[in-house]
Amino acid sequence: MKRRDMLKLAAVGAALLTTTALLTSGNAYAQDKKWKIGFSQVTTIEPWRAQFNKDILAEAAKHPDVELIVTDGEDKTEKQVADVENLIRQEVDALLVSPKESAGLTGVVQQAIDAKIPVFVLDRNVETKDYTQFVGGDNKLIGRAAGEYAVELLGGKGKAAGNVVEIWGGMGTQPAHDRHDGFHEFTDKEPGIKYLLDQQSGDWKQDQAYNIMATALRNNETIDLVYGHNDPMAYGAYLAAKDVGREKDIKFIGIDGLPNEGVTLVNNGELTATFTYVTPGAEGLRQAIKFLNGEQVEKTITLPTEKITKENAAQILKDNGL
Amino acid sequence: MSILNVLSRTKLYWGLIAIFLIGVLGSPISSKGNNIFLSYGNLLDVLRQVSTTGLIATGMTAVIITGGIDLSVGSLMAICTVVCAMLLTVPGVTPAVVLGVPTVAVTALCLGILATRFIFLNIEKSRAGSQATHDIRLDGVRGLVTPAIVGVILCSLVLWFLLPQVGSKFGVLGVLLVAPCVGLLFGALNGFIIVAGRLQPFIVTLAMMVTALGIARLTAGQNNAVLPVYTGSNATADFEMLRSLVFGVIPMPGLFFLGAILIYGAVLRFTPFGRYVYAIGGNEEAARLSGIAAGRVKIATYAVSGLLAGVAAVLYVAQYRQGKPDAGAGLELDAIAAVVIGGTSLMGGRGSLIGTFCGVLIFGLLSNILQLHNINSNLQLVLKGMIIIGTVLVQERNAVDLLFYLRLPGGKAARKETTAAKRPSKETPSLNLGGNKK
Repeated sequence: MKRRDMLKLAAVGAALLTTTALLTSGNAYAQDKKWKIGFSQVTTIEPWRAQFNKDILAEAAKHPDVELIVTDGEDKTEKQVADVENLIRQEVDALLVSPKESAGLTGVVQQAIDAKIPVFVLDRNVETKDYTQFVGGDNKLIGRAAGEYAVELLGGKGKAAGNVVEIWGGMGTQPAHDRHDGFHEFTDKEPGIKYLLDQQSGDWKQDQAYNIMATALRNNETIDLVYGHNDPMAYGAYLAAKDVGREKDIKFIGIDGLPNEGVTLVNNGELTATFTYVTPGAEGLRQAIKFLNGEQVEKTITLPTEKITKENAAQILKDNGL
Repeated sequence: MSILNVLSRTKLYWGLIAIFLIGVLGSPISSKGNNIFLSYGNLLDVLRQVSTTGLIATGMTAVIITGGIDLSVGSLMAICTVVCAMLLTVPGVTPAVVLGVPTVAVTALCLGILATRFIFLNIEKSRAGSQATHDIRLDGVRGLVTPAIVGVILCSLVLWFLLPQVGSKFGVLGVLLVAPCVGLLFGALNGFIIVAGRLQPFIVTLAMMVTALGIARLTAGQNNAVLPVYTGSNATADFEMLRSLVFGVIPMPGLFFLGAILIYGAVLRFTPFGRYVYAIGGNEEAARLSGIAAGRVKIATYAVSGLLAGVAAVLYVAQYRQGKPDAGAGLELDAIAAVVIGGTSLMGGRGSLIGTFCGVLIFGLLSNILQLHNINSNLQLVLKGMIIIGTVLVQERNAVDLLFYLRLPGGKAARKETTAAKRPSKETPSLNLGGNKK
């Protein structure tokens, strides 16, 4: 009896000692850094978010005087709010937040602002105007670019004709609505373009898009163009067409243009084109460092988009070391 | 009576103390030379962060003690956040109203029945000396007429304050009452199906988890939209109050959590109901045979679980200013883990709310420490999983056996002294009641 208790005590004591030793040793290295910058990310599972993190880490590697802390919200509002609270307690010099939702993160961002920490909001806005800067892409702009190109593919302005399948992202999400509205600004002017589906949502996922497209292929003799709100969905639609041997007579347009995803697909000739939705990671960090060094920064920065087709895809892959 | 005896009797708190010590000793130091982990703000953050999981785990504890499990709590919380946010922001007849009004009506009716029965019982007790046991008036109370009238009055009072004037003080209070009612009703439905259908709690609550998620999404409409509650739109001072610090010390959600632990803990500890819960978990058949209304007690535990999910939902809406169908996703697993770390057996019959409280705090402090040290988030998950296993091993006193199997020093063969007194066995007595009735 007694001996077992002794053993337990010893075990607990040893565990205590080792963990504290481990934890304290980990803290000693970051003393020579000038700035401590915290970045709260929503999730690391989504490809676009993973690219986002890659970009910001690559940028941080160029600044030896910056210590960057990246947290992962595991796709939960609660977790992300806890992460930001934690970064505030760690007294970071600047805070970069890419909110999961506008409403959910507003309170804690306000808390950071009240604690005199400069806040840089990335990709999605919050419901306060006191932040230092907002950096993000414009989905409407991208939708317009995609719409313009779609009209061009289907025969040009005034003459465009064909059946279009549009596969939505999440129905309730702003990006999906923006990508839809921008696209239709161009295509709605063309009387020859017909839409085959009424607001079918693939929830940004490849497998759901596959099923939507499989049904559409069964129901329609001719489909000329597929517009997916992101690359995986466009690719899912491509696979569905391929499985019934009709991929050759359909054009596929996606959005996001990640090097290891959309660009590769375009390069393989599977997608016709994709439009980059640049992650604000690198630009956001550059702006934050600029601000910490005492320079002025603009209130809002909108990132441009780029069309990626067969012509330039190989070059972009080369630039990204793929 | 050595110090070790005391230690082994309080083994519940070891984990908590150990985690806390690790936090204090290994805490990063802020630029001003303060201990970040021990800073007042940080500890308050932890308490607020765990309060949602904590409330859910509180309800879950009683369910698990009866030998059941409730997987639907996360989805129930989602429904409640959606209903709450929608009532606060969207005017007119919305799905939330369609869901909320009948719920309040049913709850008020049940409360009316309970209240009148309670009063009636006391009247009968006081008149036990007299011969008038079959008084006409008492028969009226015993039936449904009077309870129904009381219920309708209660219900109309709530609704009177609820719908036309959400902007007003009472309106918001009404909304905050509706969400727990919704949770309560769904929880009771869980319990009813389990008891009346004689089904496994696991499968019933799993089905409810899916169903409730669907209902939450339907209610929110627009394919799982987030419903933001803007400050200043309809959120009045009461709403502000739910995220403030009480007396400038304890965050309101934390107070709710502590309150739930204390009240429900007292109920489980000191009331007949609590003893029934343990008895059912120990041996349901025996409990039933000794005259416990096992079905009712089980329904009550599931209903309370739902109710607390509703309370957690209200706090969620106040905290994050939004309701959404994926709020509380995966929460049931966190809650179950916290309950089990707190020493409650999944077999039923054993456990305590104090243990759950420790379990929840262990979880919260652990997350906080790992985050303060900026450990890679994926590694954090691995560490959390290992800690759960380790803690439960120590709780169940099986660590020594494991060491023995692995032929490691400090191991001992499984002891013979696993006394029946400490652990009620789960064997059902072989009552041959004829047929294959279970």
